[in-house]
Amino acid sequence: MSDPVGIIGVGQTPYRKRNSDKSAGELARTAILEALSDAGLEPDAIGAVIGGVAPDALSGIGDIDKAAIAMPGKPYIHVNTGGATGSSALLAAKTWIDAGRADVVLVVALERMGQAATAQSIFNTIFDPIYEKDFVLTTITMAALRATMLMNRDGFTGEHWAGIASRNFTQATRNPLVIGAKARSVADVLASPVLAWPIHLYEACPISEGACAVVVARGDIARSRNTAWIHGTGGFSDTYSMGDRMHRAEGSLIEMVPLRRAAQVAYRQAGVTDPLSQLDLLELQAPFAIIEAMAYPALGLCDIDANRSFVDKVIAADAPIAINPSGGAQAANPVSATALVRIAEAALQVRGNAGDRQVSDARLALATGQGGATQFSTVCILGSDVP
Amino acid sequence: MNPDDLLILPGNWNFDYQYFAGETASRFFAELRDHQQILGRRCPSCERLLIPARSYCDACYVETGEWEQVGLSGTIEAFAIIQTQFPGLPEPPLAIGFVTLDGADSAILNFIRGIDLSDVDAAGERLFNEKRVSVEFSDNPQGRITDFHFVLD
Repeated sequence: MSDPVGIIGVGQTPYRKRNSDKSAGELARTAILEALSDAGLEPDAIGAVIGGVAPDALSGIGDIDKAAIAMPGKPYIHVNTGGATGSSALLAAKTWIDAGRADVVLVVALERMGQAATAQSIFNTIFDPIYEKDFVLTTITMAALRATMLMNRDGFTGEHWAGIASRNFTQATRNPLVIGAKARSVADVLASPVLAWPIHLYEACPISEGACAVVVARGDIARSRNTAWIHGTGGFSDTYSMGDRMHRAEGSLIEMVPLRRAAQVAYRQAGVTDPLSQLDLLELQAPFAIIEAMAYPALGLCDIDANRSFVDKVIAADAPIAINPSGGAQAANPVSATALVRIAEAALQVRGNAGDRQVSDARLALATGQGGATQFSTVCILGSDVP
Repeated sequence: MNPDDLLILPGNWNFDYQYFAGETASRFFAELRDHQQILGRRCPSCERLLIPARSYCDACYVETGEWEQVGLSGTIEAFAIIQTQFPGLPEPPLAIGFVTLDGADSAILNFIRGIDLSDVDAAGERLFNEKRVSVEFSDNPQGRITDFHFVLD
């Protein structure tokens, strides 16, 4: 058994449409200094830096991490798995430490999409130009396509998507980092314009930029601090094209096969056999309600046949687990950083540092990461106790 | 600093590219353009017939086999109806769908045309209930994926 590893420091900038008072490097540095201060460490203590930035075109600066994240004198690795970038970077940091290459690794994920005049035409460029890009594929239509598939299979309605969205946006009002958070009712969501049916404007994650940094450490450095211990991690990939994932033995596009696999691996490491009773909270990287709904069976919280009734319970605040106390990715989705934000929020919870959004007695938390058209999935389980 | 004094510089990215489709996709498009046929290749390992044609099955990571033709009708697996204009993207309303053509084991994306999209909720309900579509070819094929679209049966 390798030395236990945990998160000893967390730093986050506010997440808002534009942080025009800071350059990219200044934005990242704000989060980094806060994370180091939280960890009680100086920059000298960092053994390596792992940086996450997803599509460069969102910032309009190629390889923006060279300017904004990499630090002179430190080993540096850049990670990009789309929306899962931040959590993939965290998994890389743990691996770097487990391999004995450093005792302390700084993970930084930066989103600078406030610089883009329009995001959806940039997101269109991540799709296959030979077979698919012509058909208006974007993050929104990608969500809409899977929403209709899920509605067809499980009988979900627009009210379900609005119910999940209303819950997340309302919870975000307790999170001071989500600038401009507004409570939204089911009726508000359904009355908002349709972007791509069945997705409404007030169901779509807003444009958010910001930076998130966490300090990961092992051994005595971690034991001597208030640490969110890493109990289990898993990360898997899937086929790029959504159409190639329709008819497969291992599961279709809406079964989130990589998330299921990641959860199984992480649960095994963490000794989780009954996630619904053992976990205290979830932070889901679900920028749209349908991604959240699909995640429940993949995480083993319900059977696929019971997916809709589980969502009904979540909407009725009847599920025996706290879900997205931060408001989740639906309320603020700084693309490159969002999966690390989920981990940072889970860490704050199990360290008892989550302020107004603190879940009482939170001791074991699960955070997901999702990238591409659910092509990349990660699971990270954090706990208050040393594993 | 006063927010009005913050420097914000304009910029834009505008590059030209040429995308190399490879031999398998090139033949797929040639068949589409010259013979109004849709062909795929079957994975010898998982035995799925992949449409659109792939030179390899990325799940099994093996080269796909012989070319096989599929039917020109199929079933909608997933759809979306675009209602909002996004800068730089096609003008709405537009319906798109992943369709499994008869005989195929994967789904191909294209526009679904000929549906009244003026009432988007009604159009959505209709696409849940009427899942069968057929391929309609363009009169002016360019050897592109847009050489055809789907229409409801």
